[in-house]
This record gives sequence, structure tokens and C-alpha cells, in this order.
Amino acid sequence: MPESTGLDPLPQATVEPPKRARLSVIWIIPILAAVVAIGIAVQRIVTEGPTITVVFKSAEGIEAGKTFVKYKDVTIGHVTKVELADTYGNVEVTAKISKRAGGLMVEDAKFWVVEPRVTLSGISGLGTLLSGNYVGFQPGKSSTKQTRFTGLDVPPVITDQPGRRFVLKASTLGSLGIGSPIYYRQLQAGQVAAYALAADGKGIDITVFINTPYEKYVTPETRFWNASGIDVSVGAGGVNVRTEGLVALLAGGLAFDAPPFAAPAGPAAANTVFTLYSDRATAMKQPESISRVFVLHFTESLLGLSVGAPVTLLGLPAGEVTAVGLSVDPATMAFRPRVLITFFPERLLARVTARDQAAASIMTEGSDKVRLQLIRRIVEEQGLRAQLKTGNLLTGQLFVAFNYFPDAPKAKIDWTQDPLELPVVRSTIPDLEAKLTGILNKLDNLPLEAIGKELQKDLTALGQTLDSTDKLVKRADSELVDVLKTTIEETRRAIASADKMLTSTDATLVGKDAPVQQDLREALQEMVLAARSLRVLTDYLERHPESLIRGKTQEKK
Amino acid sequence: MSLETVACPACDLLQEIPPLPPGGKARCPRCAETLASRPADPLDRPLALTLAAAIVFIIANTQPLMGLSAVGRQASTTILGGAYEMWVQGQDLTAMVVAFCVVIAPASYLAFMVTILLAARRAPAPSWVGELLRWAHFLKPWSMLEVMMLGVLVALVKIAELASVSPGIGMYAVGLLILLLPAIAVTFDPGEVWRRVEWAAGVAPAE
Amino acid sequence: MSATVRTGVEAGLVSCETCDLLSRPARGGRPGHCPRCGSELEWRRRDSIQRTWALLVAAAICYIPANILPVLRTNTAVSSDADTIISGAIFLYTSGSWPLALIVLIASVMIPLGKLVALAYLLITVQRGSVANNRDRARLYRLVEIIGRWSMLDVFVDTFTVALVQLQPLMSVEPGPGVVFFMAVVVLTMLAVESFDPRLIWDAGKNWESRHA
Repeated sequence: MPESTGLDPLPQATVEPPKRARLSVIWIIPILAAVVAIGIAVQRIVTEGPTITVVFKSAEGIEAGKTFVKYKDVTIGHVTKVELADTYGNVEVTAKISKRAGGLMVEDAKFWVVEPRVTLSGISGLGTLLSGNYVGFQPGKSSTKQTRFTGLDVPPVITDQPGRRFVLKASTLGSLGIGSPIYYRQLQAGQVAAYALAADGKGIDITVFINTPYEKYVTPETRFWNASGIDVSVGAGGVNVRTEGLVALLAGGLAFDAPPFAAPAGPAAANTVFTLYSDRATAMKQPESISRVFVLHFTESLLGLSVGAPVTLLGLPAGEVTAVGLSVDPATMAFRPRVLITFFPERLLARVTARDQAAASIMTEGSDKVRLQLIRRIVEEQGLRAQLKTGNLLTGQLFVAFNYFPDAPKAKIDWTQDPLELPVVRSTIPDLEAKLTGILNKLDNLPLEAIGKELQKDLTALGQTLDSTDKLVKRADSELVDVLKTTIEETRRAIASADKMLTSTDATLVGKDAPVQQDLREALQEMVLAARSLRVLTDYLERHPESLIRGKTQEKK
Repeated sequence: MSLETVACPACDLLQEIPPLPPGGKARCPRCAETLASRPADPLDRPLALTLAAAIVFIIANTQPLMGLSAVGRQASTTILGGAYEMWVQGQDLTAMVVAFCVVIAPASYLAFMVTILLAARRAPAPSWVGELLRWAHFLKPWSMLEVMMLGVLVALVKIAELASVSPGIGMYAVGLLILLLPAIAVTFDPGEVWRRVEWAAGVAPAE
Repeated sequence: MSATVRTGVEAGLVSCETCDLLSRPARGGRPGHCPRCGSELEWRRRDSIQRTWALLVAAAICYIPANILPVLRTNTAVSSDADTIISGAIFLYTSGSWPLALIVLIASVMIPLGKLVALAYLLITVQRGSVANNRDRARLYRLVEIIGRWSMLDVFVDTFTVALVQLQPLMSVEPGPGVVFFMAVVVLTMLAVESFDPRLIWDAGKNWESRHA
């Protein structure tokens, strides 16, 4: 390496002074950072939607920064603040709504808290157990924008589903509640939306919502009735069991249909008022336009005769008992049983053959005088009398039967009285009690002691006879055995067929609802299976808690 | 800087390079080839990086770090949100230390550095610059952003087994930050500042 | 050529820890203040050995509850599990992510323990005036200084796991009592590293404080 000492002084490189204020490349970095930051900020501002406040009575499960506002399961915003309102009775929930949904924040938009809720038509919002409560939203139709809302306490049942609303008037609510299903021909057609005490306090106004396409089956002629549970009625006609199906059995419900005599009509307008009948029979009952009231004074106990018991004429339904009571005979000051019956000639008219319809229409259309003459003739000439009859041995229910008794004694009738009193004859209901007492008395009078002594004597004699008979019997044994065998066989067969009959009767008794039994059984099975699998699940979860979110993973080696 | 003897790579002229002023270049007198250059104001480079880091730091703290979604629920958190959650859960001390190590210390460090670098451009720099530099020097080991980054990643992987996790803008910002901070440390020569700072004893710095 | 090894303190010059200026000490007992930056001058970091020991012992005391007490409690709808640092690492391992388990184990168990042991070793050798392995010990100090902050890893992992997994009642995570102790270990050891003056390694036991007092 040459040493600089031996050489001449070397020239020096020219020094170029620094150019003034030249910006180094390095400044790109902060500029870039600034640009990105501004971009992020701008994007945030531009995509920011409106901020709204909803006032709730309680904000159960609503957390700032975590709870979402959802509409149709799509998140449209999230809650930013939850704090007490100035009035301390409410909670103010502030939420930021996404820009896209900003236009939905109008005057009549509705907000409510979606949480697990057990209602009559099922359990809703169960998913919120996992996902946490959220704020539900229903858009309104107004176009006035608004940022402050009052939250609902309960979710509105009517979301924007198509359908129609009607009002039912009932005397009591029964087992109905918000969400109770409404059936049309055993298909669920809608649900109860709301109920409130009627303005006069004497009934309940129930608002129901019928979904499309069923709302067109609701005509002004439609009848609504309470189909909750099992309809069991005991009447002179026997025991009647009817249910709308398993769900109505458990959850209660209403049903509607057009009665068979209804005139065809177009769909009813929204908010039409209907009456809620207590059961299907009542609902489908044809209103009787024509009725005649008569009085009957019986001479025996009316125990077993109830209001509504049928009145028959010659065995055909003709009317019903409307009142059962007492009247005082002015002459003797004695109490007399008094029964008011209502006679519906239209019912009888329906039974008359077409040929004779014209003649029989006197009953409905003739003038009062003509009718009175007709009745008088039947009573006097043919001996029409009313009689109490047992409708049902099991329940002891009585009914009133009109029949011809040609040998009946002449009755004294005041034909001018209104309501007209018709003659009666004594019933042939066997007086079981009297008979029993009679039997007992007879028993009492029996000379039992003397009979006993006699018996003893006879028994010894019998004993001897028996011995000899025994030998006789042994001989005829074989023949007897055959007879016995066949008797036993027949008895057994009889029992078997009786048994079969009973089971089939059992089925027919609840025959219409045999599917209900099947449903019940199936439901029970399902529940047992469910309980079992639930136990397995909890066991598994205890061992692998993370699988709640992760799911069942394969066991890693 | 002493004189350096070189032969011009372009024309082979033997020559000596004198000390260069900042930003100056040495050229061959014969063929004008650039032989050497001294970086311009050595305070500019760290300043640019510090400003960038400051902006990125703001992004990192305001934007969510990562988001989590499972069974229809979503959650996201920022850096301070994490410290706040610890506070809410009763871990006051931990929350404070975490906040210090990850927010306060780096923020103060960046703020001080910006101030120092700006103030030191005009020599003589006031003496409090030196004080700030001392503080910045002390804070540096306590700003643990890269440790936090790894911690967040580990947490992310742990949670990713349970739910779907997505990194947020904050995460990328922190990633950028842990590149910028060492870059600042590399380009910054405290000696440059000390040489310009007015001595506490009142002696003017010799330049 | 072998140059003479002379330390600043042997030459009677004190170096400013803040600005690296070498200056002559003021008259009187204390070295005075740095003429450039004004910070107080010290021959060696004040009470280095005492302070470092104190902090080290405190950190060691905290190390036990840090590992015994749980650091994270996971609550699901059906169960509630508490995990210590080690059981958390084991869980990571058994659930298949062994790289994470390794990272956690190194950062949260080995590094703090290593720091405690290393600092103790440095202190003991300095107090004994040992001159062997100077360079290695210096390297050890640098290593401890650099790696120390990485033990905070687990604290951050816990913080952000807690911050994110708050999905009541399905699953939620809460910090356990062990976190504070663990953090104390990290902070105390970091302070211990800062209070230990590495120049003592090279002083070979000579007490300069008393010399210049």
C-alpha cells in the first residue's frame, strides 16, 4: 500500500455543498401514514349512519358495545350506551344505526327487546340464550324521520305479515292469551294478538290476527268459538267429547268456521266484530228466529231437568227447556213445579217431508189464532200431553217429551193465558227408592227363625238325598261334563267378545280422538327420548365445555 | 472525520476526500463522479419516521384490534379496550401496567421524540430538550408493543379454535408500528442531539 | 499492540449515564451534575447490589403465587375451569397447538426463572469479586436486559383473551389472581435489571464508592 508521505500532496475532491432544503425521500412514509389515517377517518364518517335513542322501561340483557339492533335477523346497528333516563324510571339506550338502515328510522318504527319468551304459542327467542338479547325492530310506514323512540314492553305480534285483524267479544278470557292459536279446520290460521277489558267492563275484547291465506275464509257469517282443551258436555244426549287437536288441548285456542246454514258471503272487512262462542255446538247453532214459549206445571220432582234440556214432540227435537222453577198456586197456596219451554217450530218443519211442507208451514207462518186452534185441536182431540222422561240413566238427566195420550183425562186449559199452559201427565220413571224400601220391608217381615229350623230339618234329609244323588250324578257325569265344557266355552267366548266390544267401544267412545291418543303416546316417547339425549349432552358438555362453541371435534392425538 | 484517500472509480485519480458538511457530496475534480456523500440533516430521518409512527399509533389505538364472532355474537376490542376489560374485571393493577406498557409509554416516547427532533433542528436547542431525551431514553424499554403483538397473536390463535376471528385495522397498525419503532431507533443518533443541546452549565455547544 | 485497560473511574473521570459525556467530578464527596445535560452523576448506579437483591427477592417471592394461582378462569354454560400458567400451556399442548404451548412455556416460565437465576448469579459473582468469565457475564447481562420484557407475553395473552371472549352465558373468560403476581415478577425483574450496574462486573470487586467518597 503506497504511503501518502512519499507522494506530492494529493488533490482534493470537490465538495458539493448541500442543495437547499431538499426533501428527503423518507418523508413519503409519514405522508403515506397520514393519507391512510385520513382515509380511514373519512370512510368512518361517510359510512356512519344515524344515532338513535330508544327509551325502554328496562333494558334487560342490553349491553353497551355488545348488543345489536336486528331487523329480519340482519344487524342494522349496535348499542353504544345504556344509561338511566333523566326521569330515573326508564332506561335510555343509545344505538348507532348503519347507514343502509338509516332510512328506516321513521316515526312509527318500533323497537323492543328480544329475549327468551315463553308464550302460549310456543317459546320464542330461544336463540338469544346463546347469542344474547338484541333489540328487535319493525319498520313503520311513516316518512317522518325521528331519532328518539319509546321502546315497546312486549314484542308486537304482528310483524309485517300479510293478514287481517278482527275483534271478538267474549264474556271471559278463559284459557286464552296473547299468541293463542286460531284454527280453521284444524289448521292454524292465526293467533290472538291482544285482549282488553271491554269499555263497559262486562266482557273482553279480543283482537285476533288471521294470516293470509285464511283471512278470506272469514266472512260476516263466520262463527268463532273457544276451542281450548277438551270440550266435554254432558247432556240428555249423553257424554260428548271433542277436541281441536293436541295443541289446542295444551295451549288453548280458538277456531272458526262458517256454519252450515250460512249464506255464502265475501270476506269480512278488517276489524269486524264477532262474538266468541263458548264451544262449537253453541257457535254452530242456528239462531231460531221463531219461538213460542209455553208453561208446564208438573206434579213431580224436577230433579234432573236442567235448562237447555231438549223438548221433543213424538220423539223428535222440537225445542228446549228455558226455565225450571216454582210457582205458587193461588188457590191452595201450594208450590208447584213450573217449567218454561221454548218451542222452535222451524226445527220440526225441517223434519216434515217436502210434500207436506206447505201444510205444516202453518206452525211458522200462520196467524196466532190459527195456530191456537191447531194446538187446541191436537191437545183435545189427540191427547197431546207433556211428560218427563229419563234421557240418560247414567246421569239421571230428564227431558220433556210431548206425546199423544188418547186415554189421558181431560185437561182444563185456559186458552187465553199467555204463555199458554199445556197439560201434563205423570211420568213413568220408576221410583227406585220406593221399590227398595218395599223390598226391605218385605225382608223384614220374613219369619226367618222358623225358616231356619225348617231348613235344618230339610238339610239332613237333603244330605241323604245327596248321597244317593251322588251316585246318580257320577253316572251322568260324562254327559254333564260335556255340557259344562260347552257352557264354559260359550261363556269364555261371550266374555272375549264382550271384552272386544268394550275395547272397541272404548275406541269409539273416544274414537274421533284416537289420533289424539296416538299423538299423546308419540309425544311421550319423544319426551323420553329427548330427556335421555339431554342427559347425554350435559354429560358431554361437562367433559368438553369448549365444544359448546367449537362443536364436537375429533380427538386430536 | 479525517481525510480519506481514494482513487476515483471512474478515472482512477488519486485524491483525498475532505470532511463533508451534512448533505454535502464529494465529486472527483476531473470527471465529477460522486465519490462520497454525507446524509442530510440526520435529524430529519428519525423525525419523519416518528411522525409516521405517531399517526399509525393513533390508528392502532382507535381502530379495533381484532373481531370475534361465534354463534351469532360478535365482539371486538381495541388496545385500551383490553386494558379496560381487565380493570372492569377487578384487575386494576394489571390494567394500569398494561396500559402503561402499551399505550402511555410508547405515546410519551413518540411525543417526546417528535418534540426533541423538531426542537433540535435549530441549534442551540434549549436545555429541556436534553431532559426530554433522558425521559425518552428511560421510556424506551418500557414500550412493549412487539410483545403485545405476539401476545395478541397467541390469543388470536387460541380463540380461533373456538370462534372465527378476524384481525382488524388496529392489528395491522400495530404491526406497522413494530417496524417503525426499531427504524426510529436505528436512524436516531442521540449524539446528534447532545451535540446541539445547550449545555446545562451554560456553555454553548461547539459545532 | 496492547493498550492499557483503564476504566473511567480509575482515571478519575465520571461518565454521564444520560448523555455519555465524560467529565471530571466536582470537588467534594459527590461527583456532581453533568455539565451538558444536568442529570446527576454517579460513579456506579446507586446501591446497585442492595437494590438489585431486594428487587430480586421480591420477584422470587411473587414467582410462587404467580405459578400456583390461576391466571384465567373460563366459564361456560355448564362448567367453570381455572387455569394456571402451566396448566394453560399443558392445555394448549394437549389440544394440538404445541408451538403455542412452547411459546407460552418459554416466555412465561423459563424466561422469568432464567432472569431470576441469571441476576442472582451476576450478583453473587460480583460480590465475590470474581474476575473469571467477564465477557460471558457481560453478555448474560445484555441477554437478560433484552429478553426480560418478553415475559410480559402471557399478561397480554390473558388481557386480550379476556377482552374478547365475553359471550355470556355461553362462554366467558375472566382473569384470575395469578395475573397480578406474574406481572409483578416481570416488572420487578425489569427494575432489578435496571438497577444492576453492569460495570460492576468489570470492577472485579473493588469498591469505588468508598474510594471516592
